[in-house]
Amino acid sequence: MKDLKHIHFYEDLLEQANNELVQQAKSEGGVAVGYTCFYVPEVLLNVGNAFSVRLRAPNTGSLDISQYYMSSFICGYSRALVERAFEGGYNFLDMWAGTDTCQQMNRVVENVVEFRLIDNPTFTHGFLDAPMKITEHGNKHYEHMIQVEFLDKLKDNFGVDISDKAIRKAVKEHNEMCKIFEAISELRKAENPVITPREFHILCLVSYACPTSLILPYLKETYADLKKRKPDEKCPWRARFVVVGSELDDYTFSEIMESCNAYVVADRYCFGSIPGRKQIPLTTDRPALEQVCEFYLAENQCPRFMSKDKIEERHAIARKLYEDYGADGIIYEQAKFCDFWGYERMLENAKFLDDGDDIPVLQIDREYVIAGAGQLRTRIQAFVESVEIKKIQKAGGAK
Amino acid sequence: MADKGLASIYTDKTGIYKHREWRGLKDTAYDYKMWCGLWGTLLKWALGHPVTNVKALFRYRWMFDYLKVPSFYDRIMEGARGAALKASRNNMNALAVSVTDLLDTLFEADLHLHPGDEKAIKAGEKILPVDELIPALIFKGFPDLKPILWQEIPEYLPSLINCHSPEYYIAQTESYGLPADVCPLPVTELGIAIDDDYPVVAAKGFVSCNMPCDGSIMTSALQDRRYQLPTYPLNIPLRWKRDDVQEYAIAELREMIKFVEKQYDTKYDWDALRAAIAIWNEQVELRREKWELNRTDIPPHTGSTMWLYSIFEHQVTGGETPCLENDRKVNAYLREQVSNRECPKVIKHRAVIWNTPANMYANFNAWILNCWGVDVVADMIDFMGFDTIDTTSEDTILEGLAKQIQGATMRVHTKGGIHVMFDDLWAKVAEYNADMVIMFDQISCKGVGAINGLFEEEARKRGINFVWVKQDLFECTSISRRDMREDINDYMSLVMREEPLDPSLVDFDDSECW
Repeated sequence: MKDLKHIHFYEDLLEQANNELVQQAKSEGGVAVGYTCFYVPEVLLNVGNAFSVRLRAPNTGSLDISQYYMSSFICGYSRALVERAFEGGYNFLDMWAGTDTCQQMNRVVENVVEFRLIDNPTFTHGFLDAPMKITEHGNKHYEHMIQVEFLDKLKDNFGVDISDKAIRKAVKEHNEMCKIFEAISELRKAENPVITPREFHILCLVSYACPTSLILPYLKETYADLKKRKPDEKCPWRARFVVVGSELDDYTFSEIMESCNAYVVADRYCFGSIPGRKQIPLTTDRPALEQVCEFYLAENQCPRFMSKDKIEERHAIARKLYEDYGADGIIYEQAKFCDFWGYERMLENAKFLDDGDDIPVLQIDREYVIAGAGQLRTRIQAFVESVEIKKIQKAGGAK
Repeated sequence: MADKGLASIYTDKTGIYKHREWRGLKDTAYDYKMWCGLWGTLLKWALGHPVTNVKALFRYRWMFDYLKVPSFYDRIMEGARGAALKASRNNMNALAVSVTDLLDTLFEADLHLHPGDEKAIKAGEKILPVDELIPALIFKGFPDLKPILWQEIPEYLPSLINCHSPEYYIAQTESYGLPADVCPLPVTELGIAIDDDYPVVAAKGFVSCNMPCDGSIMTSALQDRRYQLPTYPLNIPLRWKRDDVQEYAIAELREMIKFVEKQYDTKYDWDALRAAIAIWNEQVELRREKWELNRTDIPPHTGSTMWLYSIFEHQVTGGETPCLENDRKVNAYLREQVSNRECPKVIKHRAVIWNTPANMYANFNAWILNCWGVDVVADMIDFMGFDTIDTTSEDTILEGLAKQIQGATMRVHTKGGIHVMFDDLWAKVAEYNADMVIMFDQISCKGVGAINGLFEEEARKRGINFVWVKQDLFECTSISRRDMREDINDYMSLVMREEPLDPSLVDFDDSECW
């Protein structure tokens, strides 16, 4: 297939956190708010003149400094963020919307704040204490925390408009973007899709890493291009997988999948499109903030949710994606040293085994910087082959 | 014998005593008397239900560890004299009474031991299994139920008694694909579930919780899968020091009470709770007095028996009369020694230990005092349950209980933001006039590991002796007791340039020791 429109521009944007569009938004008076977790409602950071940047640490090399300050048993993403902050890579941030949802990420923000790593005199931060199950009082608590830790701080420190009207406007724009992703995601259901896993991963990443209002026009053009695009005559994909797991902001992962002729049909991981690129329904009878908060808690599929209903829901969603997208298997990926996903991949593997309907599941752990991960390639290759063998066996071929 | 050093009584590798420790006539006699008292408790328990107990011994791998209790007690109070010895022996013997009672309650209802037995089913219906991180005081409002901190008996206590106890269960969990970098405490809990080594009772519900860390949250979900009981996952705010999260914490407690009422068809008894809280409040006062006494230049009771009892009291026996009576007795011993200006130990340094202690080396405090004269006057794990509870109304009670639960063991420091753990260390250094900090680098504890650098930098700024000791909580195969001693030995000899008080203890092989 010929190159997708703007794909090289997107690749450039992903080369640094403070990318061209972030710089443009800042120069236009925007307030840059960094965040790292789905628990932080992205759309609420895009109210008024504020804009969200989901933080990445592209081109991470040595992690010597952060390793010294954080020990070597901390997840690579956390260490990379601290390392990059030490290097001054996040000085463009006006605020860090931190979360106490994962203890390592919580400590990232604490290190950043305590060591004053952001060289910006107006820099501020907030911490979100979020529930691990859905209840009425939990929703209230969550909404309160978002109000006082993020919205009020945006208003008080930067004069950002956080009114109901501003929230509704942000949701409208967010939904416009999500609509594009929902449509592109549908394209992945085709037998020989017109978009590659790498391309989809890149689109998704830029949508998180750039101001929504500035990336949206490009995404629209890319989608228009996709609608006209013709796939290669010969379908290159040997197997189709749902990828479920933890933070994954390096599209090298999808490149490795491609190199094994494995197609990612659904991306249910942090920085993925499911559920992050799902439209938020709003009604006019209740405050927008309340509805947005409810939506983010309800859609959140972090393994941190510990109530039985949510555990079952996570399992059911993985299964549904497998069925809806015509997948051949599920890959559970875990950022090395992530406690939540370390347990979750083990639990899910056991659950799928117990279900007894023979859905192939692969569990992998990976470093934050994926490039050169030969072991990962070997494991995916082996998984593709095992799935192919199963298909042959099911079709009555070789036993 | 004093010339030969304490290690001369150890059998090589196993550390089993060749003979009892000589502590002078008076203290040895007292120690022996209390040791006999411990045996009395154990024998009374063993002979109470001999068949059930023997069955349990063969059914549960962890039960064998309880046979090692007398040896464990000797180890953790090694070298203790005077009031410290009395306090240690009394505390630990009180703990033995409480644990044997719990074993009786548990085994009576255990369907592993009495499959299909009506009596066992009936007894089980009164048992309320609760996650071990939830202090049991709140359940005193259910006097007709028997709340049991579910992991305490099979997991937490055995890990202290025998450092090799968790190894098997950790292997069970890891064989299912769990990465080996996860904290071994929740991993062991889960391994016991996987191995079906928790008792099975006819309980009607389970209360799990999100304490103390990410690993524990996840292990709760997996254990839940094994127990197959209706579960209430108690969610406690993480930023627990804030006033504006208390409403959520209290709402969670109310919902939990409703859940238990519904599951067990019972009613919460606020009067029963008030009575227990009155006891608890006195326990808190007595604990404060203990801390106060250790701030003097002659700290009377330091070491593992202090924090171990403290954990047990906060989590299990809060609001119980026998525990309060023991506290009164122990405090009287300590008070007397301080007022007589006696100090039957050599103190060269006053240290604060920060971060969770290593269960696999519970007698570390005793070793460092006996070997190097470093008295651990303040131990992070010992500081919790600071406040009494106002019983004026149901609201004030819940407010107080919410604070007590949010400040449960470990998470009282590791949650709530960095300043909770960070600032309190320097406050304790000042309060206890400490000249040394022993910082446990619990390698799989990511929440604390991620702020190692902040501690290091601050210690440098303050110019305090700051010793890192690596440990892995439950896991003695990754970091052994000998490795932990080596960290201290290196610091004391190379940095402090000091000579040990007891050279026999500097290096010895206890790789096969319980």
